[in-house]
Amino acid sequence: MAKSKLLSALKHEQGFDAKKVKQIKEKKKHKQRVHNKRKHGDSEDEDDEAPAVNDAEDSEDDEGEEDGSEDEQQENGVDLAQLDESDDSDSSIDLEDKIERPRKAKTATTITTQAVAISKRSDKKKSKKDEEEEEEDEEEEEEDDEDIPLSDLEDGDIDDEADYVPRQKLSINNTAALLASLNRIAIPTDKSVPFATHQSIVSSGEPTASAIEDIHDDLKRELALYQQNLEAAKQARALLKAEGVPFSRPTDYFAEMVKDDGHMEKVKAKLIEEASAKKASAEARKLRDLKKFGKQVQVAKLQERQKQKRDTLEKIKTLKRKRQESGTGDDTYEADLFDVAVDHELGGGSKKTKSQQRAFGGGGGGGDGPNAKRQKKNDKYGFGGKKRHAKSGDALSSGDLSGFSARRMKHGGSGGGAKGKVSKGPRLGKSRRNAGKR
Amino acid sequence: MAAVYKSLSNQKSAQKDEKNADGPRKNKQRVLILSSRGVNQRHRHLLNDLAQMMPHGRKDSKWDSKSKLSGLCELAELHNCNNVIYFEARKNQDLYAWFSKVPNGPTVKMYVQGLNTMEELHFHGNCLKGSRPILSFDAAFDREPYLKVIQELFRHTFGVPQGARRSKPFIDRVMGFTYADGKIWIRNYQITETEQTTDGKDGENGEAEAKKTSKSRGKDHKELDVGLVEIGPRVTLTPIIIQEGSFGGPIIYENRMFVSPNQVRADLRRRKASRHNARAEQFVERQARKGDMGLRTEGGVKKPLDELDSRSLFA
Repeated sequence: MAKSKLLSALKHEQGFDAKKVKQIKEKKKHKQRVHNKRKHGDSEDEDDEAPAVNDAEDSEDDEGEEDGSEDEQQENGVDLAQLDESDDSDSSIDLEDKIERPRKAKTATTITTQAVAISKRSDKKKSKKDEEEEEEDEEEEEEDDEDIPLSDLEDGDIDDEADYVPRQKLSINNTAALLASLNRIAIPTDKSVPFATHQSIVSSGEPTASAIEDIHDDLKRELALYQQNLEAAKQARALLKAEGVPFSRPTDYFAEMVKDDGHMEKVKAKLIEEASAKKASAEARKLRDLKKFGKQVQVAKLQERQKQKRDTLEKIKTLKRKRQESGTGDDTYEADLFDVAVDHELGGGSKKTKSQQRAFGGGGGGGDGPNAKRQKKNDKYGFGGKKRHAKSGDALSSGDLSGFSARRMKHGGSGGGAKGKVSKGPRLGKSRRNAGKR
Repeated sequence: MAAVYKSLSNQKSAQKDEKNADGPRKNKQRVLILSSRGVNQRHRHLLNDLAQMMPHGRKDSKWDSKSKLSGLCELAELHNCNNVIYFEARKNQDLYAWFSKVPNGPTVKMYVQGLNTMEELHFHGNCLKGSRPILSFDAAFDREPYLKVIQELFRHTFGVPQGARRSKPFIDRVMGFTYADGKIWIRNYQITETEQTTDGKDGENGEAEAKKTSKSRGKDHKELDVGLVEIGPRVTLTPIIIQEGSFGGPIIYENRMFVSPNQVRADLRRRKASRHNARAEQFVERQARKGDMGLRTEGGVKKPLDELDSRSLFA
């Protein structure tokens, strides 16, 4: 009895697209029939049976459809719940009366369901079940004939696999009753009423779920939801503006908000904290990187300096060798010549004076040095560098402690109570003073 | 002249009245919001958040009994409400939400998951307390009859009816309902309107863009950009059943994909237990094997007494 009720419910669920489903089913059946023929050639009598059953089912289905249409007509009328109930009972009775399928088939289906139940409970009767599974193959047609939703058909197909325990729970989805209760409570949302009365928008086009690839990917999911709502907001805004409903809040309208000031303060503090944490971490990373990089730079610089030093030393060595080989007699000029040669070899590196460098800059790179005329003029008119502050102290001069001696300092301090320096005789001339220092 | 104007305006107003009288019944909703006993803090906060946004709602004290929900109908009628949101807490951790139309149904029972209250989310969106939301439904809600029913219920409960007592006259909130992965995802956004920033674009992009923007600017000078900022709370609901009546009546929809959280927990525990059971079994087996080899003092097979054993030799 319960089964028939379920069937009726399922029938209702199918509703208007029963025909399509039927077509699909018949196609399926046809395929299966062919398949079966190949499979068990001996069971031809069944194939003969099937069309007859089909016919019976077809007529019944048609009636069912008519019932459905009647329902819909009546739904516009008065008391729906009662009607539905009566319909349900009627249809179930109809089913009972009108189904004239072979008795054997009916029992077989019941057996299969039992078998399923049994298999769930124990494995002992497995052999029996196996026997019945063979029957099930044949019964699939019958199951097709009964109005089981397509989703369940798939389950039926899987039934063939031995260890699969099908779900006993059938989903209840009583479309007629659902629509009836919907109609009872529905408030109009179509074009006939102003949008402001309901303010609800159902997005057109594809459902949002299709835009979400992975529901567990928070970012993408929220983006899809955001898009849906943004679309709705824009649409609603246009509609409301068209209806002349005030939409945006004027700046001088103050009222209680959902989140009070304390809450917003907290939110702000949280935002600031997050931002500052981000900034701090970024800075720390930068510093770390810099440290790493700075070390590399230092090492490179040191290496380069070393290399330069080595190069110059090598060049000097080679020059010296050359000198010795050529071995000129004049001793007095040798040192000067050597210096000039070194200068040439190093390409005007560190040994050139400032003024010379400036002069070379005009002459296009240190070839033979400035010509004699230029040199003369430079000497005469003074060229190269500013002359101001030439005598004022700079970092080098103030760092130069060669004229300082701790001993003299101490001696002066300890020697007698006199504040002034101990006199060291008369002050000598500059050249002699300088000579004494060295 | 005045007389003519008067008569005309009278006519107009009369037409208006007629239109109002003819029009469909008014959307008049009041919602009773309450929970069962045994809700935890987060559940309570969720309820408060929702209640705050519903000026047409009436919060009531916790409902004592879990078995007799039909009493809720009477309570709602007592408070003049025609909708009920009832949060039922089970085991101090599971939350079920019931949405019901009061005198005669339907009722939807849903399982609440993914619950985040407004406070813990720290979103900086905010809206007027009691402004009327725009309800945004996913297209999926129009495909299935049971989703249609749910949609209608949401429209009644969450939509603030026009002219509700404490509602505000401006609209600054969108409430979104999306059906995905067998669940209904509910989100709340604030609508922000900002000036369109076209000046920056002009400089950066090519001439075509500039032309386009200038054209649009010419058309509607004051066009504002609509953006959304989330407010919270976030909730995900899994529909379980729909009953025809209000907290009773035949079940007209049942979600067979729904697995009760108890089941999930039990499975988890069983899986954990199975590990321990396997280990315990192994232990017993090992003991038996050792006993068989005579390595244990009690049980199993004893070694036969050797004649050359010192105990028998020097007895």
